[in-house]
Amino acid sequence: MARKRNPARLVIALSVAAVLAVFLLYTSIAGGGTPSVAPSELAGKTGVVTLVGKVTAYKGDSYGDGLRFRVRDRKGSSPTRVTVLYKGSLSDQFRVDREVSVKGELRNGTFVAVKDSLVTKCPSKYTAKKSS
Amino acid sequence: MPELGRAALVATLGLALYAVVAGALAAWTRRRRLAASAQNALIGAFATTLVASAVLVAALVRNDFSFVYVAEHTSRELPTGYTISAFWGGQEGSLLLWLLILTGYAAAAVLLNRRRTRDLIAWVVPVLGAVALFFAFLLVVVATPFAMQTAPADGAGLNPSLQNPYMMAHPPMLYLGYVGLTVPFAFAMGALLARRTDERWIVATRRWTLVAWTALGIGQLLGAHWAYEEVGWGGYYAWDPVENAALMPWLAATAFLHSVMIQEKRGMLRVWNVLLVVLAFSLSLFGTFLTRSGVLSSIHSFTESSIGPWFLGFICIVVLGSLALVFARLPLLRARTRLESLVSREATFLYNNLLLVALTLTILWGVAYPLLHEAVLGDTRIVGAGYYNFFLRVFGLPLLLLMGIGPLVAWRRASLRSLGASFALPAGLALLIGAVLLALGAGSSIPGLIAYTFSAFVLGSIALEFVRGTRARRALSGGSWPAAFSALVARNRRRYGGYVVHAAIVMLAIGIAGSSAYDTVSEGKLVRGQTLAVGDYRLTYRALDEREAANATEIRAVLDVERGGKALGTVAAGKNAYTAERQVSNEVGIRSDLVTGEDLFVIAEQVNADGSVYVRAFVKPLVNMIWLAGLIFVLGALITLWPDAREQRRLAVRYGDARARVGP
Repeated sequence: MARKRNPARLVIALSVAAVLAVFLLYTSIAGGGTPSVAPSELAGKTGVVTLVGKVTAYKGDSYGDGLRFRVRDRKGSSPTRVTVLYKGSLSDQFRVDREVSVKGELRNGTFVAVKDSLVTKCPSKYTAKKSS
Repeated sequence: MPELGRAALVATLGLALYAVVAGALAAWTRRRRLAASAQNALIGAFATTLVASAVLVAALVRNDFSFVYVAEHTSRELPTGYTISAFWGGQEGSLLLWLLILTGYAAAAVLLNRRRTRDLIAWVVPVLGAVALFFAFLLVVVATPFAMQTAPADGAGLNPSLQNPYMMAHPPMLYLGYVGLTVPFAFAMGALLARRTDERWIVATRRWTLVAWTALGIGQLLGAHWAYEEVGWGGYYAWDPVENAALMPWLAATAFLHSVMIQEKRGMLRVWNVLLVVLAFSLSLFGTFLTRSGVLSSIHSFTESSIGPWFLGFICIVVLGSLALVFARLPLLRARTRLESLVSREATFLYNNLLLVALTLTILWGVAYPLLHEAVLGDTRIVGAGYYNFFLRVFGLPLLLLMGIGPLVAWRRASLRSLGASFALPAGLALLIGAVLLALGAGSSIPGLIAYTFSAFVLGSIALEFVRGTRARRALSGGSWPAAFSALVARNRRRYGGYVVHAAIVMLAIGIAGSSAYDTVSEGKLVRGQTLAVGDYRLTYRALDEREAANATEIRAVLDVERGGKALGTVAAGKNAYTAERQVSNEVGIRSDLVTGEDLFVIAEQVNADGSVYVRAFVKPLVNMIWLAGLIFVLGALITLWPDAREQRRLAVRYGDARARVGP
C-alpha cells in the first residue's frame, strides 16, 4: 500500500513558495529600497537617493523659503561637501555635527530634498567612549 | 563604593562560570550534589548582581559624578525619578539591568523547578549560566558601569527625549521580555541535551514564555506611546531597525505560544517548536546587537559602541550550537501524530504559524537587506516603510482573519456543514459592517476597509464563543449568566484569556488602520488670532506662554479648539529647552475624544521670535483604540497566566513528576 502523504509538508512547501514568490515580485517591482549614499558618493548618481551625512553648516527656514545646509561624510576624511535644499518638518535635534539622512536628488549641484524627508539621528545613548 | 560594585560583578562572572562548568559536569555524570551546587551558584549570581545594581543606583541617587556613568547620564537638576531611570539610560547600566533580570529569572526558574523537573533542570542550569557568563563578561571586561574619574561640578544630564514617564517603564519592560525568552530557550536546549524531548519542557516554560511575551508586548506599546507623545512627528511606529528589533522576537514568541498547543494536544511540530524558541531568543540577541553595534542607520543613535562584535560572535555561537543540537536530536523529535485534515483547528494554527514566521523573516530581511546589499554589491540601500507596510498587509490581514476562523474550527477534522453553521453569524455580521463602512466612505482605503471587516468577523466569532460557552455552562450548573460567565473563564483560563488577547489585537488593528489610513493633516504659520482648519476642527492661536520648570524652560502655544461651532477648550503645544543638556525637545498637544477614540494632535514645529508659530495638526481617528488594546492585552495575559489548580492537577496526572509547580 502506498504511504499516505503528509498534508502538513505540502502546506509548508506551498506557503514557503508563495512567500518567496510574493517577495520576489515585490522586490523586482519596488527595486529593493532606496540607495543610501554618502556625500562623497553622490556625484554621478541619478534619481532619488537617501543622502546620509553630518551637518557642517546651515541657514534659512525649512518652514519658509527653505533650509540650506551642507553635509559631509559621517566617517573618513573626504573633503566633499554637498549643499542640501530642504523644506518641511525639522527636528529640534537638527544642528551642526548631527547625523542626518534625507531623501532627494541632485539637481544642478544642489541636493533637492523631498518635503518632510529629513531625519535627524537622536544623540541618545550607547555611543563609544571618547579616547583620552 | 565602586570597588564593591566591581567586586560584585567579578563574583557574578565567577559564579556564572562555575554554574556552566559544574552544571555541565554534574548533568553529564549525574552527580546530584554538584548539580545542586551549580544551581546555588546561579542563585548566588543574582545576589551579587543585585549588589552591583544597588551600588550603581546609590551612585545615581547621590549624584556621585566620580562615576563616569553617573556624570554622563544625569545632572543635579534632573528629577529623582529620571535620575534612577538613568540606570538603563546608558549602555553599561542597561547591560547591568539585563544581567540583573537574567540572573533573577534564572534563580526563580531554578527554585521553582529544581525538585519537579530535576533531570531537565540539570542541563538548563549550564545553559542559563552560559548566557549570564556572556553578559557578566561584557560588564567586567568591555563595558563596566564602575569606571571612575575626578568628579566634575555637574553631569551631562539625561537626553530630554528620555525624560518622559513612559521611558521609565519602556526599557525595563522590553528587557523583561527580551531576557525572559532566555528561560524557554534554556529549557529547550536542556531538554535536547538531556534527551527529554517530550512535552515536559513546553509545560515547564509555557508561563515563562507568556510572561516574556506579555512584557515585550507591553514594552513595545509603551515605546509606541512614548514616540507618539514625545518624539512628535505624529506617528507611533516608524519601522526603524531598533523598533523592529523588539517586534521580531515578539512575533516569533507569538508563533511559539500557538504552536506549543499543537504539540501539547497532538504531539506534532516538535522540531518546529524548538526552532521557534531558538529563533525568538536569537532575535532578542540580534535586537541587542542592532542597538549597540552601529551597523545600521537608525533614527535611534544607540550605536557605535565597541560591544557589537562580541554580540555578533555570541549570536553565531547560539545559532550554530542550537541548530547542531537540534540536528543531533532529530530522531528524538519525530511527531507522534500527523495532520489529518487541512480544515481543522491544528491546521489553522499551522497557517497562523507560517504567516507569523513569514512576517518575522520578512522584517528580518528588511533589517538585514542594507547590510547584505552593501556586502555583496558595495553600496547601501535603505528599506523604507513601504516595504514593511506592504508585507504587513500581505501577512497581517490573513492573520487577522485566522484569529476569527481558528476558534470556530474543530480539532482533527471539520465538516463543511459544521463550518457553515459556525461561520454564518460572524461572517454575516462582518459583511454587514463592511457594507455600512463602505457606504460611509471607508472605501478610500481598501486595506483599511478589509481590516475593519475582518476585525468585525473576529470580534463576532469571539463573542459567539463566549456566548456559547456561557450558555453551556449555565445549562450544566445553572445559576445566573454572570456567574456562568465567570465560571467559564475561571475553568478555561488559557482558552478564554487567549480570546481576550485576540480581542486586544483586533482593537490594535482597528486603531492602526483608523489612525494611519484615515488620518487628516494640515499645517501653516499662525500669528495670534489666526485659525487653522484640520478635519472638522478649527484651531485659533490665542497666546504664547513661557514658564521655568525645574530643569527646563517651557514654551507653549495655546490654541482654542472648536468643532462644528462648539468650543472644546484649548490645546497647548510647544518646546522645552533643557538647561543642563542644552537641548530642545518638542512637546506636542493632544486632545483625546474618549467617545470617538480620535485624537487632535498638534505640533508646534517652530516657535519664532516674533511670537508666530508654525503648526502642524493631525486628526487621528480611533488612535486611542491602540492604547485601550494595551490594557485589554494585559487583562487577557493575566487571565491566561493566573494559576489554575485544576490544570496543575491535570498536568500532574499527565506528566508524573514533571508536573505542577513549573511556571513562574
